[in-house]
Amino acid sequence: MTARIVIRNEWRLLMADRPLRLALGLFALLLVYALANGVVWTRFQESTVEVAQAGNVERALAIEQELTDIENGAEPASPFSDPRLPNVLGGRRGRHTAVLTPGPLTALAVGQSDLLPYYYDVNIYTNESSFHQSGEVESPLNLMVGRFDLAFVVVYLLPLLVLALSFNVLSEEREQGTLALTLSQPVSARGVVAAKLAFRALLVVGMVLAVSLAGILVAGDFGAPGRILLWCAAVVAYALFWFVLAAWVNSLRRSSAWNATVLVGAWLVLVVVLPAAINIAAGLLHPLPSRVQMVTAQREASNEAVNQRSELLARYLEDHPEMAEGVVADEPGLGALAWAATDAVNRRLEEVTAEHDVRRAEQIALVRRYRFLSPALLTQEVLIDAAGTGDARFAAFQSQVRVFAERWREFFVPAILASEQMNAGVLSDVPQFRLADEASADVVRRAGVPLAVLTGLLGLAGAGAGVGLGRVRGAD
Amino acid sequence: MIRHSIRHIVRKEFTDVLRDGRFRWCSVLVGALLLVSLGHGWVQAREAQREHAAAQATARDHWESQGEKNPHSAAHYGIYAFKPRLALSFVDEGVDPYTGTSVWLEAHRQNDFLLRPAQDATSAQRVGALTAAQVLQHLVPLLIILLTFGALAGERERGTLRQLLATGVGRRDLALGKALGIAGALGLLLVPAAAVGAAALVVGSPGPAASPVARAAVLAVVYLVYFAAFVALSLAVSAWARSTRTALVILLGVWVVNGLVAPRVAVDLSKWMHPTPSALEFAQTVEREMATGTEDIIPPDRDALAERLMAQYGVERVEDLPINDVGAYLQESEEFGNRIFDRNYGALWDTFERQGVVHELVAVAAPLLAVRALSMGLAGTDVEQHRHFASAAETYRRDLMRRMNGDLTENSRSGDFSYQAGAELWESTPPLRYDAPTLGWVLGNRFLSLVVLGGWLAGTILIAAARVRRAEVA
Repeated sequence: MTARIVIRNEWRLLMADRPLRLALGLFALLLVYALANGVVWTRFQESTVEVAQAGNVERALAIEQELTDIENGAEPASPFSDPRLPNVLGGRRGRHTAVLTPGPLTALAVGQSDLLPYYYDVNIYTNESSFHQSGEVESPLNLMVGRFDLAFVVVYLLPLLVLALSFNVLSEEREQGTLALTLSQPVSARGVVAAKLAFRALLVVGMVLAVSLAGILVAGDFGAPGRILLWCAAVVAYALFWFVLAAWVNSLRRSSAWNATVLVGAWLVLVVVLPAAINIAAGLLHPLPSRVQMVTAQREASNEAVNQRSELLARYLEDHPEMAEGVVADEPGLGALAWAATDAVNRRLEEVTAEHDVRRAEQIALVRRYRFLSPALLTQEVLIDAAGTGDARFAAFQSQVRVFAERWREFFVPAILASEQMNAGVLSDVPQFRLADEASADVVRRAGVPLAVLTGLLGLAGAGAGVGLGRVRGAD
Repeated sequence: MIRHSIRHIVRKEFTDVLRDGRFRWCSVLVGALLLVSLGHGWVQAREAQREHAAAQATARDHWESQGEKNPHSAAHYGIYAFKPRLALSFVDEGVDPYTGTSVWLEAHRQNDFLLRPAQDATSAQRVGALTAAQVLQHLVPLLIILLTFGALAGERERGTLRQLLATGVGRRDLALGKALGIAGALGLLLVPAAAVGAAALVVGSPGPAASPVARAAVLAVVYLVYFAAFVALSLAVSAWARSTRTALVILLGVWVVNGLVAPRVAVDLSKWMHPTPSALEFAQTVEREMATGTEDIIPPDRDALAERLMAQYGVERVEDLPINDVGAYLQESEEFGNRIFDRNYGALWDTFERQGVVHELVAVAAPLLAVRALSMGLAGTDVEQHRHFASAAETYRRDLMRRMNGDLTENSRSGDFSYQAGAELWESTPPLRYDAPTLGWVLGNRFLSLVVLGGWLAGTILIAAARVRRAEVA
C-alpha cells in the first residue's frame, strides 16, 4: 500500500524533473546505440567465419580435383605443390582453418573478440609460434580505446546514472524539510528508501534487460538460457550494488552535496582506480618476460636443428615409434630429415612457452585474486564470460586447436617419414576441426564465483544501509 | 589597486583549496597514482628497451654467423627486427601494447608485426591499464572540476558574490583570481610530478628519440593548455549555473562525455567512415595478387627476362651469360612483390591513419582526443610512428634482399646451384639503424589536434569571460 503510493509519487516527481528525464532518455539512447554496435560486429564475425569455412571446402575440392587428374595421368601443376606429397597435402596448401564461432551473446559484449584470433590455419607446421599471430585487422588505436558495447555501458555508465538518480534519495527530503512529515506517517525510513529505490531500480534495470533481450532476439537466439540468465543476474546485482551503496551513504545523514562527492569518489575508486592499481601491482610483483625471448629461442633451436638433422631423426624415431612404422633411420629420406629438424624446433618452442605460461599464470592469479575488491571488474568478467567473448573461451579454443594440430600431424607425419605418396582415397580421412564449445553449465560454474562475490558485496552494502537507515529519525 | 585585489583573491582561493579536506584527499590520490604510473612506466619501458636491444644484437649475431650458404638461402633465413621503445614512451605507452614488437624480415614477403603485449594480458588488465598519460588526461580534469564547480556558484549560493562585487572588485579580476588560485593548488601536484618525469628522462632515458627534451617540453605545454581549458570551462559553468549542484552535474556530464563516451564513439565513427577489410579478406587479396598480379602490376616472366639478358650481353644461351639469371629473376620478383605489398599494406595503413583523423576531428566535441593524439605523438607511441618504424624495417628488408640477389647475380653463373657466400657478405650488409622522427614531423602529423586544442583553450576562455560578465549576483 505505502509502496504503491511512494512509487506513484516517485513517477510523478521523475516526470517533473527535466534533467533526470533527459538523463534517462540519453541512457536509453546509449543502450540502443551500444547494442547496434555489437550487432554490427557480430554480423562481421559471422561473415568472416563463413568465408573461412568456405575456404576449407574450396581447398579440399581443388586438391581432390588435382589428385583425380593425376591419377588419370595428368602432371601436377607444380612439383613444389604436388598434392601427393604428404608435406604439401598436410602443409600450407592443404591447410584446415579451425574456427571459433562468435560467442552466443557477442552482440552484447565484444569483450576480447576484437583482439584475440578466432580462427587459425592448421597444417603440419603449426607450432607454438603460430598462436602468436594478430587477430582481426584493426587499427591499434581502436583496439586501445575499446568498443562502445552494452557491457561498457553497464560497467561504466550505469553506476553514474544510478548515482544521479539516488544520491539525494533521503538527504533531499531532509533539506526540503519533508523528512519529519514523511516519517510521522506509519512508515520507516528503511521502507521509504527501499520503495523509492525499488522504483528507480526497476526503471534502470528494466531498460538494460529489455535492450539486452532485444539484442539476443536480433543477433542470436535463446539457445543458451544459462548464459542469458547469467548476464541478467550480473546486471541486476551490479545495478543493485550501486543503489544500495547510495542508500548507505544517504543513511549517514549528511548533505546532498557531500553524498554526491562521496559517491562519485566511490565510483572513481571502484571502477577506475582499483582495477588500475591491481594491474600495476601484478606487473610489479610478477613481471612478465616479454615474448621477444621466444623469437630468439626459436631462431637458436632452428639453427642447431639444421646441423644435426640425422641425429635428431634417430631420437625422434625412438620417441615416436608409432609415427615411424617401417622407417629405417639409416636411410632416411630428405622429408624425414627435415621433419626431425622441424620437430626439434617445436619442442624447444614448447619449452620456452611453458616457462612463459608459468610466469603468466602467476600474474593472472594475482589479478584474479584481487579483482574481488572491485565490483566493476567482477561484473565485467561475468558479462563477457556470459557473452562467450571472455579469456576462458578463447583459451579453450586455443587448446582445442593445439590438440587438433597434433591429430593433423599424426595423420601426415608417418607418410612424410616413410616418403609415401598420398592419393584421393585418403581425403575423406583427413582430420576436420570440430569445436567442442563450452556448455552453458560450465560457464555458469566458472562465473558463479565472481557472481557470488558480487552478491556478497551487495549484501555487505545492503547490511550497512539497513543498519544506517534504521537509525534515521524524522527529527534529524 | 586592481593587481592588489587579484592577489588577494588568488591567495584566498589557494588557501581555501588547501584547507578543503576533499581536495587534500583527491590530490594525494591523484598525485600518488601519477607518481606510481610514472615509475611503473619507466621501469617497464627500460626493461623492454633493454630486452629489445639485446634481441636485436642477437639477431644480428645470428645473421653474421649463419655460415656458408647460398645468398638466397640467407635471404630466406632473414633477420628479425625489434621495435625500439622511445625515450618518452614511459609517460604514454599509447598504442604500443596493441602493435606487435617484432617482425621477421625474410625473402619474398612483407610480414606482419607479431607479439602484441595486449594479447598476453587478461580482459581485466585491458580495462585497467593506467599510465601517467591517463592520469593526466582523465583524473586531473576531474580534480579541476571538483575544485572549480563551486568557485562562483558557491559564492552566489552563500550570498557572498554580491558582497564581493560591492567592494569594487571587477568580475574579470575575480574570475582570473579564482583561476590562478586553483592553478596554484594544481601546481603543487603537477610540478613535483613533472620534476620526477624530467629527472627520469635525464637520469636514465629508457630509449632513443630525436630531441627528447624538446618533445617533453611540448608535451608539458600541451597538458597545461588542456588543464587551462578545463579550468576556464569549469569557471564558465560555475558562473552560469543556478546552483552548485547543477554546476557539478553539468561538469561531471562533460567529464563523462569527454573521457568515456566520445573516445569510443570515435572508434565506431572511424570504422564506419573508413572500413577496414577482414584479416581473412586482406590475406586472400595479398595471396591472390602475389600469384597473378593486378592490372598494372604484372608478375615477372622468367623466360622473357632471360631473353632480355641474352640480348643485352649478346649471347645465345643462358649458360653463356656472365651473370646468374636466377638472381636477376629473384630481384624482379622481389620488386613485383614490393609493389603488391605497397599497394595493400599502404592502403591499410592509410585507412588506419584516416581513422585516426576521425578521432582527431571528434576532439571538437571532446578535447581529450586532441590531447591524447598529441601526447602519443610526442611520446612516439602513436600509429604513425609505429608505421614509421615498420617502413624503416621494410626498407631495410628490401635493401637486404637487393644485396643478396645482387651478390647471387654477379658472383655466380646461370645454372650454378652450388654457389655459396660467406661471413664477408653477411658482415658487409649494414645493421638496421633506426632514426626516430623529429619533433617537426610529429607536430606536422598532429597539426589538426594542435588547432583543435588551441581552439578549445580560446573558446573556453571566451565563454568564461562572457559568462562571468553576465553572471547573476544572486
